[in-house]
Amino acid sequence: MSEWRTRELVPALAQFVVLALVIANFGFQIDSRNASAIAPGVLWLALVFAGLIAFGRAFAAEREQATLEAMLMTGAPASAIFAGKALAAGLLLVVCEAVLLPALGLLFGVDVSAGLVGAVLLATIGMAALGCLFAAMVAQLRARELLLPLLTLPLWIPFIVAGGQAVQSAMGGSGAFDQAVKLLLDFDILFVVLTSLAARFVLDD
Amino acid sequence: MSALVADRLSHWFGSEPALDSVDLVVDRGDHVAILGENGAGKTTLLRILATAMRPSSGKLEIMGLDALRERRRLRGRIGYLAHAPGLYPALTAAENLAFFCDLRGADRERVPEMLDLAGLSEVARKRASELSRGMQQRLAIARAVLHDPLLLILDEPDASLDAEGSELLVRVMKDRTTVLATHDQALATRLCQRTVVLRKGRVLGAGSRLRVVQ
Repeated sequence: MSEWRTRELVPALAQFVVLALVIANFGFQIDSRNASAIAPGVLWLALVFAGLIAFGRAFAAEREQATLEAMLMTGAPASAIFAGKALAAGLLLVVCEAVLLPALGLLFGVDVSAGLVGAVLLATIGMAALGCLFAAMVAQLRARELLLPLLTLPLWIPFIVAGGQAVQSAMGGSGAFDQAVKLLLDFDILFVVLTSLAARFVLDD
Repeated sequence: MSALVADRLSHWFGSEPALDSVDLVVDRGDHVAILGENGAGKTTLLRILATAMRPSSGKLEIMGLDALRERRRLRGRIGYLAHAPGLYPALTAAENLAFFCDLRGADRERVPEMLDLAGLSEVARKRASELSRGMQQRLAIARAVLHDPLLLILDEPDASLDAEGSELLVRVMKDRTTVLATHDQALATRLCQRTVVLRKGRVLGAGSRLRVVQ
């Protein structure tokens, strides 16, 4: 609701992802032969950086405003608070994807199918859970901008690999789409459960 | 049964001692003021009493429950005012209270009641960021008593408060066990029957309407 009122982050993220696509479009000299090979990489690059910004801000703002402690002091379960934050941050990323995917189709000439959208959304779930957990861990630290990518990126790699395969397959490239989507689903379940269990220890001293 | 029993509470930040073997007993209905200069350990003590943080060592019992094990349960019975108001700047005064009502499972009908108590009904639809510091403090106090707690832990509740705000403090503390931290000795004497003086994390003195030895 705060983001809806202030509209601070969403326009910045949307602008960022479009700029990333435009720069990639010029930088890689995209044509119809190489678009479907390059587009998945560009997509995940833009999403990863947008995600780091979105999730980092999710908890940094709560710490700065001292609202995270206020929420914990209500007695509400830390895992519920974490789930709410992860959902909100995930939704921010989904809004970015709503800008990113059409722009990808426009600039790279790739078909933005339901399968592609589904794969991206599935990856977003797990990335949001992990991103928010590490963002909560580093929110109090001065070096949080440095630490967040260092902690998050290694665990995002499974999503990027499986998601990249799914997206490439959906764009008409090689690879087993169903297998990649099943892998994404497995990762989502695993990391959503793990992060929910870990949230209590991360958020509450 | 005492409302609060703290037994040799100690806390270190790294190797720096913030609290050193603090004992404190607060009976039901008592109003206790914690006095001390900056860095004496008042905020650390209050955060531990409010279950916002764990002590490095020591025991704490609140309303007969082990505060270190039953933190979530006790948070439903404690009203805590932290050093910072902890309000969402983009939400209105009413929305801030409504949000915390939902988190506590309290009836949202408490919101207009609390706004009225805090004298903020006229600014209910103003964003928290647009309120003066004193109004934000009053809103934070109203939020601390939203769920009708049995125990109040207030960290410098008089910060930025005017006379009307000070009367609000008197009203919310009535019939509630209260532990508050303040620099203001006059306020401590006015509102509380007992005072405890902290210096460098240790209890320097305690008593009824204590005359602080400089």
